[in-house]
Amino acid sequence: MSLAERPEAAGSPGGDVLELHGLTRRFGDLTALDGLSFDVPSGQVVGFLGPNGAGKTTTMRAIFGLTDLDAGEVRWRGSSVGQTDRRRFGYMPEERGLYPGMLVGEQLEYMARLHGMNSIEAARSTRAWLERLGLGDRATSRVDALSHGNQQRVQLAAAAVHDPEVLVLDEPLAGLDPAGIEATGAVLLELAGRGRCVLFSSHQLDLVEDLCESVIVIDHGRLVVGGRVDDLALAGPRRLVVRVEGDRSAQWARALPGVSVSEVDGGEARLVLDPEVDSDAVLRSAMAAGRVTEFGFRRRRLSEVFREALESGRR
Amino acid sequence: MAVVVTIAVVRLGVRWYRRRSPRPRKTLGYGWLAGDTALVATREIRERVRARSFKVVTALLLAAVAGAIILPVALKGSGHPQHIGTVGALSGPQRAAIAAAAKAVGTSADFVAEQDRASAEADLRSGRIDLAVIEGQKVMAKKAVTPTETTATARLAYTAAAELGVLRSFAQAGLSPGQVATITSGKPLPVTSVEPPSSRSGPARATSLIGIIIVFIMLSQYETWTLIGVMEEKSSRVVEVLLATVRPMQLLGGKVLGIGTVAMAQAGVLLAFALVLAKVAGSDLLQGSGPLTLAAALVWLLFGYAFYCWVYAAAGSLAERQDQVQTLALPLSLPMVLGYVMAITAASSGHASVFFQVLAYLPPTAPFAMPVLVGLGAVSWWGFLASIGISVLATVAVARVAALVYRRAVLRTGRRVSLREAIGA
Repeated sequence: MSLAERPEAAGSPGGDVLELHGLTRRFGDLTALDGLSFDVPSGQVVGFLGPNGAGKTTTMRAIFGLTDLDAGEVRWRGSSVGQTDRRRFGYMPEERGLYPGMLVGEQLEYMARLHGMNSIEAARSTRAWLERLGLGDRATSRVDALSHGNQQRVQLAAAAVHDPEVLVLDEPLAGLDPAGIEATGAVLLELAGRGRCVLFSSHQLDLVEDLCESVIVIDHGRLVVGGRVDDLALAGPRRLVVRVEGDRSAQWARALPGVSVSEVDGGEARLVLDPEVDSDAVLRSAMAAGRVTEFGFRRRRLSEVFREALESGRR
Repeated sequence: MAVVVTIAVVRLGVRWYRRRSPRPRKTLGYGWLAGDTALVATREIRERVRARSFKVVTALLLAAVAGAIILPVALKGSGHPQHIGTVGALSGPQRAAIAAAAKAVGTSADFVAEQDRASAEADLRSGRIDLAVIEGQKVMAKKAVTPTETTATARLAYTAAAELGVLRSFAQAGLSPGQVATITSGKPLPVTSVEPPSSRSGPARATSLIGIIIVFIMLSQYETWTLIGVMEEKSSRVVEVLLATVRPMQLLGGKVLGIGTVAMAQAGVLLAFALVLAKVAGSDLLQGSGPLTLAAALVWLLFGYAFYCWVYAAAGSLAERQDQVQTLALPLSLPMVLGYVMAITAASSGHASVFFQVLAYLPPTAPFAMPVLVGLGAVSWWGFLASIGISVLATVAVARVAALVYRRAVLRTGRRVSLREAIGA
């Protein structure tokens, strides 16, 4: 993919961009990353999607130099990322990592200092983050004395305590209860709102749809599709939502030429229409099958974008 | 000094690591030492010193050192007094001879007057008295004693009997009490030598033993800390967060430096405590080559730690569970145990074989063997320095390989990484 075609969900114009150029990583016969390129603009939350084994974690590790690359490079503000840049990055790996026996406050201060804060800034930022995540009274608890949910919050604070310019989170929502998801989402949106670059991976597509302005979808280490969620939702063939009273399987639609049933959920059939199909013909077929209670055009859901992108990518 | 040498070794390792790193990196000058590595080391020191196990081990080591110094002094002076039953009167010179004999065998005599021979025998049987002197002519014990026995009672019986026999001979020769007094108060002539005293003295030998035991305990303790510490960072996955901002060598170097600083501080406290206590208690452990031996042990604790810490850190990066660590730790501890056993044997026998002298120049065993050679006076200063030189070179080489293994293995989780994978991948 040439630079001109690089999907670039334009955030704040002229803002900083994290650029991934042709990342390639092979483990023996397995190609984890296959010339993967995309940009992560600052000022918005970018969702990073792909099936298991698509290369998401390897990509994130590559941003932090945690995996050797066979080719390609990661660039920030136009130049190759080095140790000094990474001090201004924050990372939350998929398999969480904290010192179990260390005190929560000391652990966060330690992380802040490793990222270049002085001791006063580190202490102040640690207090602020613990307060914000509702852990203000747990600074002197051992990490392993906290509940699972609170450990997750500390992990998020550990990634963000030094006010990073780039925040990369691998499955930050996995294993969280609704309150935890809401708190994490709020943090991500706030950081993006302050002009930070936020990239996170997830399998929970409905949550991603709520949080993200843009998404990147990869498969087999290659980019499949990327862009603003709005643009992706409006792109592609028309889709109709039709509800026929008493019908649970949308058998009536399956025989229609140029119409495919995308999904059926509780009697609500989502149909994908080829360009030449007349929607009135579809309505007549539906009416023939029973009383029509709902009939209308819809945007693509992110789950549909994801599925269709993978299908077309694999075809 | 200890810290300076550790830092120098770490820096050599870092310099090598930077040079072989494929991508050109921005050099940070010497700032890295004051930066991330120091932060990592500081955290390590704080967490280690805070741990209960550290306090327990320190207390045990202090108690062991105190015991090793106080006990010999206490035992020497305080053999319980020997109760001597006397049947019939003893002359002044006879009493004096028995008291002198008691002092010579490290005890004192406490005279108990007995009515007659029968009561003396009864008191011997009951243990109320240890020995009886019958009319100044015969020494009686509870059980038959032989000249080779080393109990205070047996030695006193023979020494006192010999002295009393001499006195009887003087009397039979018709010497006046004044003449006898002159003879028995005779002082030995001075004995001199043309060469300085040999260092194979008892105290230096004991000092060697104590030094080696402490080096072994401390090396085992701190190398295990390194091993477990690296393993725990890997198994808790915190290493992935840390390595996102810190270079592997900074993380590894900081850990090793932090644990090493704690080790040397603990050793310093132990040594200071031992010196003060030995001085106060009047121990002879620090006479002759004793202080030199302890200094050598301290120096080799440092070089031993510096050599082994890389090996143990690399091993820790291969494992992520306690049971995996144990299978790794056993083979690693074998050279240490070999050096330790050989050193204990040599220090006890006071003889250094050629094989043992070779061990003193091999980095894995030198930390144990070299202090013993120093204690025996069997090594020259340049031999000592040569062994240090070999050890430093070997440490740099080991640190290079360890950094490579660590970098490749510490982020591979799920199962134990084999050494071949780590080096060859």
